[in-house]
Amino acid sequence: MHRTALITGGSRGLGRTVAEFLAAQGYDLVITGRGEAEIEEAARTLRRHGGPVTALAGDVADPAHRRRLARAARDLGGLDLLLNNASTLGATPLPPLAEYPLDALEEAFRVNVLAPLALIREVLPLLAQSGGLVVNVSSDAARGGYPGWGGYGLTKAALDLASLTLANELAGRFVGVVAVDPGDLRTRMHQEAFPGEDISDRPLPEVTLPFWAWLLEQPRRDVTGRRYQAQADCWEVNAPAAELAEVAV
Amino acid sequence: MKRAELDFDRPQALQAAGPPERRGLERDEVRLLVTTERGHEHARFRDLPRFLAPGTLLVVNTSATLPASLPARHPALGPLVANVSTWYGGGSYLVELRRSAAEPGPLPVEAGDHLEIAGEPARLVAPHPGLPRLWFVRVENSLRPAMERAGSPIRYGYLEAPYPPLADYQTLFARQPGSAEMPSAGRPFTLRVVNALQARGIGLAGVTLHTGVSSHEVEADEVEDQTLYAEPFEVPQHTAEAVTAARRERRPVIAVGTTVIRALESAWDRDRVRPAAGFTRLLVHPGRPVRSVDGLITGLHDPLASHLAMLHAVAPGELVRAGYTEAVREGYLWHEFGDSHLLMAGAA
Repeated sequence: MHRTALITGGSRGLGRTVAEFLAAQGYDLVITGRGEAEIEEAARTLRRHGGPVTALAGDVADPAHRRRLARAARDLGGLDLLLNNASTLGATPLPPLAEYPLDALEEAFRVNVLAPLALIREVLPLLAQSGGLVVNVSSDAARGGYPGWGGYGLTKAALDLASLTLANELAGRFVGVVAVDPGDLRTRMHQEAFPGEDISDRPLPEVTLPFWAWLLEQPRRDVTGRRYQAQADCWEVNAPAAELAEVAV
Repeated sequence: MKRAELDFDRPQALQAAGPPERRGLERDEVRLLVTTERGHEHARFRDLPRFLAPGTLLVVNTSATLPASLPARHPALGPLVANVSTWYGGGSYLVELRRSAAEPGPLPVEAGDHLEIAGEPARLVAPHPGLPRLWFVRVENSLRPAMERAGSPIRYGYLEAPYPPLADYQTLFARQPGSAEMPSAGRPFTLRVVNALQARGIGLAGVTLHTGVSSHEVEADEVEDQTLYAEPFEVPQHTAEAVTAARRERRPVIAVGTTVIRALESAWDRDRVRPAAGFTRLLVHPGRPVRSVDGLITGLHDPLASHLAMLHAVAPGELVRAGYTEAVREGYLWHEFGDSHLLMAGAA
């Protein structure tokens, strides 16, 4: 069954790992990242699975680029999955909120909140046609109140609320929306948050594959509106557990 | 908890190579080792009611077993066995590839390999992280028809021919097909045992947890670091309420099978069990207290099995180890057609 996914931040890290997993299952892909050489290289390796991969270099914060991404999905025949993964950490080293440069905070909002929201709008008609799923990548920084993580955390908390609200608003159009906190991963972005530190104890993004395998097969109505942790012990669905009669023997 | 704490010596002879019916016993006539703080007692499974107080709630797994072992063919490796562990939905499965029932992998296969599973075209998508014997596989069509047509119950090298039919792998409680391997703690229950339990005022409630393949040996040095794969589960409202009420009223709750503890602990929320459904890969170990049950009826587990960590979470380590020493000394039988163990933290 032919399915299409659009992945932002697809050149490396979590986005690249998910792209690989989807390509290996026969998904058609549109991937994007800011670095042209990197996104092209990613596309080349992904194409070895035999499916079409459209690579577009650009910034998700750019409206024209978002329109190009939507067009690319349309050209592939539709969209089943949008993975809003591209994010900026904001100002680094991570300043406390009391000192956070406000223009950097605005920029972080543009990339981490407005861009995903705007991209959802661009591709919504395609998602509605297929009963598709939006996955917005979150972080425990959205909840923890950790000193230094307030800037990035603010943007992820906003994205979390957007995910929940959209899930409720789009229920009638059969488009599912979920937030996913992938957990700590050994990626370049994570290293940027901990400059000079040894992050080799964090798992590689492949640790999240069972979660994606599970999420992508769930009926949208069963997961929409939920916030998941990909490395958690348990992934639950919305559907009320079917009522079993008393144990019949 | 250290991996070494899960190790012990189990003589090869103490393996049930077939159902007790072949040894002239009914299902409920297998042996029952009863371990409580008072010590260890030896009984037959049909004696179970006398060890449980009136008002006890038994929670069972209503999952039924699938004939999940399928013949497979790989272009380079030739004929293989594909044991279908877990259905993720649609055409997505987690599968263990083996050379045969007696020869496990991992095999020299790669993501992108195309193979046939019972004649169905399949592609290898990715290995399960941390568990290289297990592969995510994509097929065009559901494998259930293939199982009906060509599947047999998953079996391993200790099982002797003639191999038992699928019906031998269904417990009395089995309702929803989905398990790769029998949730075997429930197998010794018969109608007469259930009637005797009910006559004694012991209640029954059900959860569903579909087992995957039993690749559960702990390899990590620290048990808590062991990767487990996720299994589908459901705790229905009726059962959530029954367990919560029993906890509140201080009536004993006994899980029939480690699968039941996994499901109930996954659904535990502060002071109660919630109705819940999804996938769980919860590892129950002594570092996280078991809140939902007071005891466990289960089979005997292999050295280094992750299930042993769960036993150590239910009862003190010395008691569990002493129980296993006793089981070995008295010649109890291991595996899905073997003997049974009632383990309770408090006195019976």
